[in-house]
Amino acid sequence: MSLPTQSDTLLVGRIRDGQPDAWSELIDRFEGRLLAFVESRLRNRAASEDVVQESFIGFLTSLPNYDTTRPLEGYLFSIAAHKLTDHMRREGRRPTLPLASGSTSPAEWDLPSPQRAASSIARSGERRRLESTALVDAIGAQLRRWREQGDWEKIKCVELLFVRGLANKVAAQKLSISEQTVANHKFDFLAKLRAMIKQHNLPQDVFPELYESPE
Amino acid sequence: MSETFSDIDLEAYLDEALPPESMSRIEAAARGDESLLRRLSGINARRDAGSHSLGEIWRRNRLSCPSRADLGSCLLGVAAEELEEYARFHLTVIGCRYCQANWDDLEKAQREAGEASASRRKKYFQSSAGYLKK
Repeated sequence: MSLPTQSDTLLVGRIRDGQPDAWSELIDRFEGRLLAFVESRLRNRAASEDVVQESFIGFLTSLPNYDTTRPLEGYLFSIAAHKLTDHMRREGRRPTLPLASGSTSPAEWDLPSPQRAASSIARSGERRRLESTALVDAIGAQLRRWREQGDWEKIKCVELLFVRGLANKVAAQKLSISEQTVANHKFDFLAKLRAMIKQHNLPQDVFPELYESPE
Repeated sequence: MSETFSDIDLEAYLDEALPPESMSRIEAAARGDESLLRRLSGINARRDAGSHSLGEIWRRNRLSCPSRADLGSCLLGVAAEELEEYARFHLTVIGCRYCQANWDDLEKAQREAGEASASRRKKYFQSSAGYLKK
């Protein structure tokens, strides 16, 4: 997991003070990975550089809203994703969605989006953040424990199930283990998360995935 | 067509978090598939209503991503074997866009002479420094 480092926090503080050398340092540190992220989609160097440029400007204009307890890299990637999406829509490569909000702004970061109703963000933001923090802490703790124990197979298994959304059978094939072993890892993981989440008194319907059958 | 994509795939698509080829596949399918567009729209509506899923939270917070330092160690061939194997899995099987971008950047930094990147960075700086607080 990518956590905000002290040097990132100090760097952002210096940028907030308007120090050009700090801004130059942030660009040096992050432009390469942002460019690689954007270029992997656009396959066009000049257009990718433009999107990264817009992302850096977007970072500075959204700086008053940036919460320094969140990882800086993640925030920059989310702005780049947002700018990339806008670019692809303008180019006609990304379809515009009907009805609803059509927002593609990562909700976690609450980036400003003209299509998202402000009242909706204000109403749900705090509750969502509490739920998210509880789950992040629980998953993070379990993954750390497995990493320390060298249980990499369990980490791979739950990642396939919950991040890629694969069925037990497919996950078993990818890891060359039995479906029963996948079900056991899933049961173990969900039971531990439920126990940790219970301490936060969250209702069951917030994360129904935690109450799924492991089979 | 739409049944070939899981909700988790579509959530990741909306976050621009799938590997490029998967992103293109969903885009191509969505162009001629009203029901897929409605599913995507439904996910946005659900998010606007304040709900979120385990997979979304995991991916956005990058809970299982190796650190950039870990990726650098793998690239240099000095990481522990298990970590290296996991990083390869995370990049190729999970298809993490953010880690792949870090990996590509680290790999490029090993190859590229500093001159080209320095002029690009200067361009970014010059075009954006006017937005700094006065």
